[in-house]
Amino acid sequence: MLKIDQLISGYGSVQILNGANMKVEKQSIVALLGGNGTGKSTILRAASGLIRSWKGTIEFDGEQIQNLPAHEIVGRGLVQVTQGKDVFPAMSVTENLKLGGFILKSKQQLSDNLEKVYNYFPRLNERKDQLAATLSGGELQMLCIGRGLMSNPKMIMLDEPSAALAPQIVLDIFKNINRIRQDGLTVLVVEQNVRMALLLADYGYVIKDGVINVEGDSKKLMYDESVKESYLGGTKANV
Amino acid sequence: MEGLKPMFNKLRIGKKGENIIFGTFVLLYIGWCVNSPDMNVESLKSVLTIGLSVGIIYGLVALGISLIYTGLDVVNFSHGEFFMIGAFAGLTMFNLLGNQDWIFNLFPDAYGWIIYVVCLFTAFVSMGLFGVFIERVFLRPLTKKGGGYTVAGMGIIICGFGLSVVLINVAYLIWNPVAKPFPAELGLPMEIGGLFLPITYIWMIVVGLSVAAGLWFFLNKTKMGLGIRAVAYSKDVSNLVGINVPLYISIIFGIACAIAGIGGTLVGPTYQVVVFMGYIILMKAFAAAVVGGFGNLPGAIVGGFTVGIFETASSFYISGSHKDLYAFLLMIVVLMIKPTGFFGVQVKMKA
Repeated sequence: MLKIDQLISGYGSVQILNGANMKVEKQSIVALLGGNGTGKSTILRAASGLIRSWKGTIEFDGEQIQNLPAHEIVGRGLVQVTQGKDVFPAMSVTENLKLGGFILKSKQQLSDNLEKVYNYFPRLNERKDQLAATLSGGELQMLCIGRGLMSNPKMIMLDEPSAALAPQIVLDIFKNINRIRQDGLTVLVVEQNVRMALLLADYGYVIKDGVINVEGDSKKLMYDESVKESYLGGTKANV
Repeated sequence: MEGLKPMFNKLRIGKKGENIIFGTFVLLYIGWCVNSPDMNVESLKSVLTIGLSVGIIYGLVALGISLIYTGLDVVNFSHGEFFMIGAFAGLTMFNLLGNQDWIFNLFPDAYGWIIYVVCLFTAFVSMGLFGVFIERVFLRPLTKKGGGYTVAGMGIIICGFGLSVVLINVAYLIWNPVAKPFPAELGLPMEIGGLFLPITYIWMIVVGLSVAAGLWFFLNKTKMGLGIRAVAYSKDVSNLVGINVPLYISIIFGIACAIAGIGGTLVGPTYQVVVFMGYIILMKAFAAAVVGGFGNLPGAIVGGFTVGIFETASSFYISGSHKDLYAFLLMIVVLMIKPTGFFGVQVKMKA
């Protein structure tokens, strides 16, 4: 579905990615793990067209999409759900979701998708006329994911869906991500919460200093020593 | 941008101390006016009508400045020139249609009105397109290297000053600096409560308020308006939901300029059309935007009315020879006492 080959990119003149390779199979959940500042979010931002890729290719659904304008990438069915619960606070929940379906042409489809999202997240249906600013952290995350689903994507990329949430809510959200996959979508999850992410995912990549350090089956990665190493900074900690 | 959705119910009342000081100033001012020998019901009526009609013009230009400020995070200092060129666009259309006999034969009764509406429409459309052109050709290249509108702000502000000078001089070349009359035939003066007023005053208020209401409807009830509000809040998130952000930035700029163009054509019949009319209007609209709360759209209209009435009343009752002073005096007083203006939005911290 998504294939990233030797991707080099960064912000301004600062190079963050030094040739990352990744592959996401259709209808799978893939976890992209790594510590702070290793380039996890940069991969997503390059894939969704928010920053330019300097070198390398990004292939989605058999077509190269690197350096396309961001709204065209959304139109092709690749949607990023941003980090940090980036909603429009002065708009109601329904308006936020309608914005997610901005590229849809027909009103019928918009209301169908709205129904679908409320089905995934009944909490949003209860709060649909409230301003988004009044939602709790978990509800905001649901709203973000719901907004991503509104445009009928083929694949969604989630940037740290568990950040700053209570474990119970994280579990709830991860269950829903699994449901989304079962309904035919491909999911790429960027996470700091390694254990939860690997429980959810089929396959995992660990990124370090802008290159993929370790990859493998998630069951295997869970007990892999080198995953711990990548998190603790390369040297084995003698604790 | 938070001011857009809740609109009128989000009136920021402010701190108690602020209001007491501001109220004292207002009472002192009213007392001063009432003491004036010219004070009577007749003069009060005309002050209100003229003040409101001048105010709505300031309001319309302030609306454009506020719209560009909320949408693109820059202050457009060439906005007055769009107002001036809009007036000239309306006047040009008026001169073209003015000696066409067939329109007169077709509609002998509403002849002047129809021509005037066509002029307003011409100013609206041509200034919209002209604004998009200016944005695409002169401002957009600055953002490419500067990293988006928010970051390239200072360069764009300076570019606005430059554009202002260039546009004035281009207009000077095309239309020469002689003030031109705009003799729209809108019928006899209207009687309101025993007071005869040129109908253009009423017309200004009516058209201005409908434009403001239309903008409100457009922003809050249409899909494109939803997109504009999204772009104004965050360019990145708008990109991620599939909004064509560069296109929407052009649309925001175009709408703001189109509204300024309508303002110019509305002013034309009452005053005159002259190349230098944009500068002072820009300054007063700026004062109106600050008084209403910078970046707040209903605030811009309320600020426009406040500045218009304050200015007219002061020149009637205090001294007419310092007419241009009062708007800025009001702005300074408001900035001292209520720094965010009447409907102020808390200033977003920029990274």
